[in-house]
Amino acid sequence: MSSLFRPSSNTAFNLVLLLLVGGAVGTLGGLMVWARVPSGTGQQDPLVQPVLFDHRHHVADDGIDCRYCHTSVDRGPSAGIPSTALCMNCHAQIWNKSPRLEPVRESYFTGQPIPWVRVHRLPDFVYFNHAIHVNKGVGCESCHGRVDQMPAMEQVAPLTMSWCLDCHRDPGPNLRPLDQITTMGWTPEGDPVALAKDLLKRHDVHSRTACTTCHR
Amino acid sequence: MSGVIRRVAVEAKDLELLEGTPVLAGRPGDRQLTEDLFQPVWARTRRGWLALFGICAALTGVLFTAIGYTFAVGVGAWGNNIPVAWAFGIINFVWWIGIGHAGTLISAILLLFQQRWRTSINRFAEAMTLFAVMQAGLFPILHLGRPWFAWWLFPYPSTLGIWPQFKSALMWDVFAVSTYFTVSFLFWYVGLLPDLAALRDASKSRAARIAYGIFSLGWRGSAAHWRHWRIAYLLLAGLATPLVLSVHTIVSFDFAISQVPGWHTTIFPPYFVAGAIFSGFAMVLSLMIPARKAFHFEHVITQHHIDNMTKVLLATGLMVSYGYLCEHFMAWYSGNPYEYFVFFNTRLRGPYAPVYWLMLFCNVVVPHVFWWKKARSNMAVVWVAALLVNVGMWTERFNIIVTSLHRDFLPSSWANYKPTIVDWSIYVGTLGFFGFLFLLFLRFVPSVAASEVKELRRELEHEAHAREHAPAQGR
Amino acid sequence: MPPLGSKLPIYGQDNAAGRPGADGQRRWRSLEELESRRLPAPEFPEGAAEPPEGVSRRSFLQVLGASMALASLEACRPPRHKILPYVRPPEKPLLPGTAVHYATALSLGGHATGLLVTSFDGRPTKVEGNPDHPSSQGGVGSFELASLLDLYDPRRAKGFKKAHDPISHRSLMRELAALAASHQPDGGARLRFLTGATGSPILQDLRRRIQARYPKARFHAYESLAQDQAYQGARLAFGRPMEARHHLSGARVILALDSDFLQHGPEALRLAREFAAHREPGLELNRLYVAEAQLSITGASADHRFRVKPSEVLGFARAVAARLASQHGLAQLAPLGGQTRLARQAQVVADDLARTRGRSLVLAGPRQPAAVHALAHALNAALGNAGQTVDYAPPLRDVAAGPESLRELAADLAAGKVDTLVVTAHDPVYSAPADVDLGAALGKAPTTVYLAYRDDETAPYASWVLAASHPFETWGDARAHDGTVSIVQPLIQPLFESISELELLAGFVDLGDAGAHRLLHEYWRGRSAGGDFEREWEGWLGKGVLPGTATPAEKVSLDVAGIAAAVKAAPPPSQGIEVSFVPDYKALDGRFAENAWLQELPEPITKITWDNAAYLSAATAKELGVENGSRVELRLGGRAVEGATWIVPGHADGVVTLPLGYGRRRAGPVGTGVGFDAGRLRTSQAPWFAAGLAVAPLGRRKHDFALTQEHFSMEGRDIVLAFDVKAWKPEKIEHVKGPVATIQTPVDYQHEQYKWGMAIDLAKCIGCGACTTACQAENNIPVVGKEQVLRSREMHWLRVDRYFEGSPEDPQVLAQPMMCQHCETAPCEYVCPVNATVHSDEGLNEMIYNRCVGTRYCSNNCPYKVRRFNYLDYRGHLSPTEKMAMNPDVTVRTRGVMEKCTYCVQRIERGRIQSRLEGRVMKDGEFTSACAQACPANAIVFGNLNDPRSLVSKAHQDERRYDVLHELGTRPRTAYLVRIRNPNPELT
Repeated sequence: MSSLFRPSSNTAFNLVLLLLVGGAVGTLGGLMVWARVPSGTGQQDPLVQPVLFDHRHHVADDGIDCRYCHTSVDRGPSAGIPSTALCMNCHAQIWNKSPRLEPVRESYFTGQPIPWVRVHRLPDFVYFNHAIHVNKGVGCESCHGRVDQMPAMEQVAPLTMSWCLDCHRDPGPNLRPLDQITTMGWTPEGDPVALAKDLLKRHDVHSRTACTTCHR
Repeated sequence: MSGVIRRVAVEAKDLELLEGTPVLAGRPGDRQLTEDLFQPVWARTRRGWLALFGICAALTGVLFTAIGYTFAVGVGAWGNNIPVAWAFGIINFVWWIGIGHAGTLISAILLLFQQRWRTSINRFAEAMTLFAVMQAGLFPILHLGRPWFAWWLFPYPSTLGIWPQFKSALMWDVFAVSTYFTVSFLFWYVGLLPDLAALRDASKSRAARIAYGIFSLGWRGSAAHWRHWRIAYLLLAGLATPLVLSVHTIVSFDFAISQVPGWHTTIFPPYFVAGAIFSGFAMVLSLMIPARKAFHFEHVITQHHIDNMTKVLLATGLMVSYGYLCEHFMAWYSGNPYEYFVFFNTRLRGPYAPVYWLMLFCNVVVPHVFWWKKARSNMAVVWVAALLVNVGMWTERFNIIVTSLHRDFLPSSWANYKPTIVDWSIYVGTLGFFGFLFLLFLRFVPSVAASEVKELRRELEHEAHAREHAPAQGR
Repeated sequence: MPPLGSKLPIYGQDNAAGRPGADGQRRWRSLEELESRRLPAPEFPEGAAEPPEGVSRRSFLQVLGASMALASLEACRPPRHKILPYVRPPEKPLLPGTAVHYATALSLGGHATGLLVTSFDGRPTKVEGNPDHPSSQGGVGSFELASLLDLYDPRRAKGFKKAHDPISHRSLMRELAALAASHQPDGGARLRFLTGATGSPILQDLRRRIQARYPKARFHAYESLAQDQAYQGARLAFGRPMEARHHLSGARVILALDSDFLQHGPEALRLAREFAAHREPGLELNRLYVAEAQLSITGASADHRFRVKPSEVLGFARAVAARLASQHGLAQLAPLGGQTRLARQAQVVADDLARTRGRSLVLAGPRQPAAVHALAHALNAALGNAGQTVDYAPPLRDVAAGPESLRELAADLAAGKVDTLVVTAHDPVYSAPADVDLGAALGKAPTTVYLAYRDDETAPYASWVLAASHPFETWGDARAHDGTVSIVQPLIQPLFESISELELLAGFVDLGDAGAHRLLHEYWRGRSAGGDFEREWEGWLGKGVLPGTATPAEKVSLDVAGIAAAVKAAPPPSQGIEVSFVPDYKALDGRFAENAWLQELPEPITKITWDNAAYLSAATAKELGVENGSRVELRLGGRAVEGATWIVPGHADGVVTLPLGYGRRRAGPVGTGVGFDAGRLRTSQAPWFAAGLAVAPLGRRKHDFALTQEHFSMEGRDIVLAFDVKAWKPEKIEHVKGPVATIQTPVDYQHEQYKWGMAIDLAKCIGCGACTTACQAENNIPVVGKEQVLRSREMHWLRVDRYFEGSPEDPQVLAQPMMCQHCETAPCEYVCPVNATVHSDEGLNEMIYNRCVGTRYCSNNCPYKVRRFNYLDYRGHLSPTEKMAMNPDVTVRTRGVMEKCTYCVQRIERGRIQSRLEGRVMKDGEFTSACAQACPANAIVFGNLNDPRSLVSKAHQDERRYDVLHELGTRPRTAYLVRIRNPNPELT
């Protein structure tokens, strides 16, 4: 009988099959990749703040210690965003006419807080405590990166659960002496493995992986 | 195993020789068969079909409305509570999965055992299996509290750095059910190929030809095709056979590995499988009897087939009864007060006792009518009995799940369960959806494997021929 | 819904981080700093509650509506005046997301309970008992716990209305001053005040000053649960009203005459603690006899319970007295020994009391007439208990707060003798006796000023409706039952425009603008011993009590003849069906009817939620032809209400008990129309019980009661184990303790630093349910409503199971707190397909909400059925203020996830981080679970099982320790200690 399909239809048919299978696999694979790349995790995305605050300038040039502004970082769960009054400690004297600081002065005089934009956002069911990490030798840099090189603040770590677990399962490599906590660009001198061992012992680090460590 | 095969084979042989019940009535020619068996596909849509289809479509609508509602407000739309955290959802799941077993059993196992009486009913049963499993497949997702996270049940490398709990029977279900569906589907479709090709060739309109052409994957019926096809078909049968046992075994683990009184029983796997086949055959019968009549397939699906299936019903029915017996015996013999309470207090006298007694009637009493040939050859009786068995198997699952859960260890936590309208809509809805798919199947796909029937005819002719030329042999 | 404050909105932090201060003092100064930080003028106007146009508050409300973040910002603002943290827990710097405890007090019926309120970033989130307070001693009851929810009730009265027109605070004060002035000419002859009974020194002082300014003005006090009859009883016995103060620590044999002293009354928390302390064998056990009609939790804890009609209690007391008469100097009472039907038992009780002379105690309930109280005083005197287990002091609160004074007021109003009535009593129109039509009377007064917490039954009759501040929002003071004074300090700036009783009354002596804090501060400065008052003041605030303010006991002389006369004059027991009104375990007298936590709290005995019922005994029900849930018409003296009946095992025959406080008509969306208003049958002549109740069944349709427990028999299983102390032997529970044969090798937790565990002493548990409410508050547990409870979907992580044993007429009651047992080999864990519930290295059974997909398999496999599932979105409807009540340390669960008791893991982790920061190990008692902390009876202990000296380890070693469902081999971390009863052999 007259052939219903031309020979080429075989190829066409195979192609369709390929597309279907490949498409399915591709989609799933793509999603898994997306969950791991910066654009998916929200890394490498400098945020515009109401005040053009420049960490690079304050940290690198002025050499202000992180804890001067983030007062509760070593005492409480949250690092603490400095109050306007704190800004004015300096900026009442220096740059007190600068138009860039107008929002700060305005907030100071009207009592309306400056609406900073949150950079590091953990899900609401995650309970992270800055104090315990800082006091056990995890440096600011380990999670927040080279803040001294950021004109505008950005998220450096992926902040995925596996990223947290990597460190909680083997904290050693991410520890540093307590006097180096806020140092940017710190590198261990000597044998890092030995140092890690030593710090684990010295800081009495017991990183836990029980679920309720973070989820309550 | 070989012993089993021989026994079954012998039995089947005798069945074949049963006077007056050939596997194929008369000696229709190929053309004849093609016409008869494809007739439902060619015939104009009939009023009866339309009516049924309308009803089923409506029920399907109900189903998806109920599902939408459940997703919208949460699984709290059902009657479930604490302690009865599982109810209709899981009952229906197990019920449909069980029904699905007949298809694979008939197609695969009987094929391997070379049972001739399978040929004219296997396609039918396979389709039924497929659609039943589709119904069942809905529920594991539906009954979740947060269905949008259902994919967490699949083991994949996630950024959470954790994996599913492989110790959980629900985890095993995921694999069991999906494998089962895939294999059944392939098996059904591969078996369908030659007929699709035949349809393609017999189609009048070009559109139909192209459509059937695509689906028949370029089948030309060459010797090579047939050889490959047969190998593939056998292989799939080989794959499917263990699944008949494994799937419901694993489903039964959902209960058996827990420690709820009434669930925590080692007899569950065999007893679930038997129950599954029981309900599966019941469903095949309750669907086939009307279809057979409507399409005048009496000469292809003969008394012989019905007869055998009812006997399977009887056999599996007895196994199920034995299961019940065992459960109660163990409850008494083990001296476990909680087990004892469930089997001799809650079920017999509890608020759900009527369901229990209904179950005993349908599953234990009813099958015994099949001891009598009269009953077996009376379609009405067989049909009603089959339906009753279906009901019975549903109530069995209700007993296992709800009745066991609603009164367990601490009396303080006991509470009754009351299904909501949503529960009922979803249950009835799946029946409708099942019918919907099945009617489509009957309408657009040959419901009897024409090619195999033709093949069977030839075999029979040869045998007849052989018998004529070797009168000395035989009894 | 995000867990509030778990991550504070940045501006919130701005505020908090602005406060320096490591210790209380500095924090207090920090307020100065705050103010010096030139906060916008309207925020903290000195003294005034409100700037003219009330911008800040109104905008505050808009903000609330706008977003949660902003709401918590506002909440983060410190209250108007100074606050000092409690000194007890090691001072923590006030950091964002850190809990601080403040001491304050809450008054019910004029008696204060000392509280510690946990506050996160300026949001009070949890109420605890103040260990230093004589009335609470660290324990706390459901009422106090649930009062937090009232604070955040979005439907509270807001703002001030004069003749339905809203007016600002400033103009209100102006108007008040004018009103006050208008009454000066005639010395306030046409000025009346209707207040609740109060023990507050400053309020009493204010009254004096008002009286001084208006000599002819009159104060009426009204409490629907007045203690008048007790005071009258004292007047009979001692010639003057006295406050009887009971001490169970010394009491070995206790006779409670219709007294539910474990739950109701100002001493309840303390007495529960003292009572429970002597229920464990080893110590000298006390023995409790209770004579009552309704099965109360006190009766349920009794060793012997006598089912008597309320009117038969006197007879019982007389029989006891008669027995003691001769040999114990009650000669004049001798002839009173009428042969009542309980005489024999009464005599046995009498002998038992006599045997422990000086170490026994007779308590009479406030519902009983004066004669019974007098008789109780006489008995205690005769038994030498006076001065030992009970002492007497002059009352420091209104002694006449009953219906009489209310009736006089109503009469005066009706007679048009009153121009201005100021109402600060709680919703008197609802709680007034049926024969006092206060509503109509109020209409007669040209001006009625009503201080309303809600737009309730009284509000429509008042011409001025002023929103009342919550006790957690205002300054004030209060007196405990023993007279000890506490300063009431605000936890938060008033959420809505409102005013306190103190500020309102001050308006009548032209101090309206002073502000509560200044008034209070000056009042007490005037009374300080001198020296550095500010330091003293801070000390009071920090500690929560004013040391040495307890009233000393006074000697009393007994007037036996008078008592004898009174007792003779008392009416004989009633015939026929008697009605008996009782304060409800949840709604009390109706003031908690709008509180969802309490509405859903199961009634301790019947486990009924969202309802009250007409309780009666099986026999009486048969006689009346009613059963559980029958709808009936209750008719008494021409008045009738429709209710539904419920049969209570152990209830006295011939009595129908009606809990008060339901059938509210204007309570609000929660309480309106729940149950029926028994108060409609309650008259000023018979406020507590009366004869001649007619009960007529109404049709076949049944009323649906939502019970959290439907099955009351233990089916002979070893669930709650109880023994008579004589029969008790450790061997008897060998089969429910120790290791179970298993095929797996159980994990060994001995080498962990911590191994958390709990122990519950069933001998101490009184089944009051405070633990349930505490858990609900601590763990953000939703309220699901009656319809969901009917579907048995209640969410309480901690339920108090209650079983009956023995005869249905006179059953033994067994209560058992049941929550996640944290099994070491937990059946729930291995069935979860996604690892959402797993075991921690310290043996906690962890439930991870954010991983849960909701298969509910874990619940099926939990033999204790303690897991709870969010079948619907129980949190979607929360108003911004309700969200502020959430504990930021606990995730708020979404729809479709399983949840359960976590052993308060948030407290564990908080303690862990703190201790690790300080480089030490957590000490026993440093923190405990919410239930253990609340329990008035100290029945629950929680702690580290790897610390051999911890209380919980000792409890786990106790010979009475056993595991529930031990044979399943779940190895629960929660152990139970068998209940021990101490019956009198002569009665068994």
